Amino acid sequence: MKVLELKNAHKIYNSSEIQVHAVNGVDLTFEEGEFAAIVGPSGSGKTTLLNMIGGLDHPTKGLILVENTDLSKLKPSKLIDFRMRNIGFVFQSYNLIPVLTAAENVEFIMNLQKKPKKERQKRTEDLLNAVGLGDRINSRPSKLSGGQQQRVAVARALASKPKFILADEPTANLDSKSTETLLQIMEELNREEKITFIFSTHDARVVKRARRVVTLEDGKILSDEISKN
Amino acid sequence: MILLTAWKNVWRNRMRSLVVIASVTIGIFAGIFAVGLMNGTMEQRVDAALNQEISHVHINKQNFKDNYDIQLTFRNSRDINERISSIPGVEAIANRVVINAIANTAAKSTGVQVAGVNPEQEKKVFNLHEKMIPGTGSYFDKKTRYNQAFIGEDLAKELNIIRYRIESATIDSLSERGVPPAILEKLKPFIGRRFPGQKAFSREMKKILSGREITEFGQIILEEAWSFRERSKLTLTFINKNNIQTGGMFRICGIYDVKNSIFEKSQIFVLNSDLKRLTGIENDEFHLAVVKLSNRNRTNEITELIASAFPDFEVKNWKEIAIDLAMMTGMIEKFNAVFIIIILAALSFGIVNTMLMVVLERTKELGMLTAIGMNRKKVFTMIMAESVFLSLVGGVAGMIISKLILALTRNKGINIASAAEGFEAMGFSSHIYPTISNTFFVTVTLLIIITGILSSIYPAIKALKLDPAEALRTE
Repeated sequence: MKVLELKNAHKIYNSSEIQVHAVNGVDLTFEEGEFAAIVGPSGSGKTTLLNMIGGLDHPTKGLILVENTDLSKLKPSKLIDFRMRNIGFVFQSYNLIPVLTAAENVEFIMNLQKKPKKERQKRTEDLLNAVGLGDRINSRPSKLSGGQQQRVAVARALASKPKFILADEPTANLDSKSTETLLQIMEELNREEKITFIFSTHDARVVKRARRVVTLEDGKILSDEISKN
Repeated sequence: MILLTAWKNVWRNRMRSLVVIASVTIGIFAGIFAVGLMNGTMEQRVDAALNQEISHVHINKQNFKDNYDIQLTFRNSRDINERISSIPGVEAIANRVVINAIANTAAKSTGVQVAGVNPEQEKKVFNLHEKMIPGTGSYFDKKTRYNQAFIGEDLAKELNIIRYRIESATIDSLSERGVPPAILEKLKPFIGRRFPGQKAFSREMKKILSGREITEFGQIILEEAWSFRERSKLTLTFINKNNIQTGGMFRICGIYDVKNSIFEKSQIFVLNSDLKRLTGIENDEFHLAVVKLSNRNRTNEITELIASAFPDFEVKNWKEIAIDLAMMTGMIEKFNAVFIIIILAALSFGIVNTMLMVVLERTKELGMLTAIGMNRKKVFTMIMAESVFLSLVGGVAGMIISKLILALTRNKGINIASAAEGFEAMGFSSHIYPTISNTFFVTVTLLIIITGILSSIYPAIKALKLDPAEALRTE
């Protein structure tokens, strides 16, 4: 099933003197359960593309369809709501709320969704167990390592039961051991819960594990390959 | 969850929040305490005015108070008193004969107002008898064949009825009150000497004592060296009912101290019967009926009842008699409001500043929250709640401190005598018992919450204007 479709997406930034064509006519489709990496050198348009997919930025031209909803047609408040219900985010620098515990961070979004307390608590526990942090639920982010924080971030992204998860360079700040653990967890969740992961990355270790690799250069798709594993 | 997060956010930068909270605390405390002092001063002044000087309602012939014409009397006092008493809300009545007079002693003469009173009635309306300086006699308790006068301390000083002298007993009591022996030694040569008035005494003291000694112990020495000769006399000169100048010799039966120079210097109390005999006013005649009400707050209402029962008379309540008092009470309330609003406005700038810093520091986090789906209303609520918590914590702390300090000072009061020279001359006590009503506390709490909300609007709008994609890129 198609979860995401980009049709001739363009993003043009107008600064005072020069026009930057950050994304230049991208057509892409993601199916449910994909584990896809978007790669490319700095300035190739990865982040812009991811922002547009996540509804944080609108294309100058073209369409972004999430299960047939055109994101650019949504009013700002509806768009925030849409993001809350359909898209999970994992950021390069984890971006957990520092004053909340791991569990509260995961629960936060379910709170925004007004899920009943019992359900919230159960899911928080399940998710933190799944990312291997069942024993750290009451720790604040400052007491967790970078890898652990990013695992909490993955659990948080999953909490809202999104259609797909966008991860912008999720391993950029992690050592190889943490990267390995995080990738294993993501793969497991992807396999067992059929969750679609789309991540941008520089990291060769991550690219190697992706089942689909989309390479961008100068805002255009250079290649789109399905990997064997 | 939003509120809990907001609360936790307040403590994220503990030091900064504590500084803001401390400033709110100090501001609110200072405001409340100052208001308490002002209220206390005013309240005491009103109480004093009502209990010693005016009471609640005066009934007299039309125009009597214009120049205290001796002819403008009521007759049938008993009948009139009964009619007044039957009005609900009236607690007690005192009938007075009031004339203007000149008071003379060998040393001086001064214009005064003489009230001829019935002590039994007066004690039910006023508490002046409780304000007598101990040792100066009594409030018309002794039956004598002389005319008696009950006068104020400041008049007694002015007329040189009070003298100053130093006896061995004075030195002993000064030593008991903690005056250092060095000063006592300097005073000893004066034993046995008398001074005609405070001025002469002070002049002499200034010669032998240093400025510091006088500031520190001058008041105590004055109090102890004060002496009053019982049976001192004064002559009152006035016009009788036949418009002939007459007068009488009065013995001072007691001296009162109400901490109000103007009143003390101008009001002499004598027995109704003495004054009537001297002026030729009949026994059932009087000039003024002073009415005490059981509840001061119903003054206006009961004044109207009395006025309608006595349409031919002038009926005025204390607010009309002491216009300055009524006006000041009203004004103090407005001052207080302005004062608190100024403090809150100053505080709100501090809060706005802090909250702007908060938004700036947390740009990335706010971007993340919007990205993952926290809507504008919730972001706004969170920032607003943080600001309200900041101001509320400080405000509540300020109010608790105020409550404590007020409770501590309620019984003992605060003596500002050293800082408030001339305060008593204006009729205000220099010993203040701060008072704050509960309504005021509730109002201030509400105002603090409103301040918190208002102060958060601008920073919260700033937060709403953040573009999540851009905010996430900030470091």
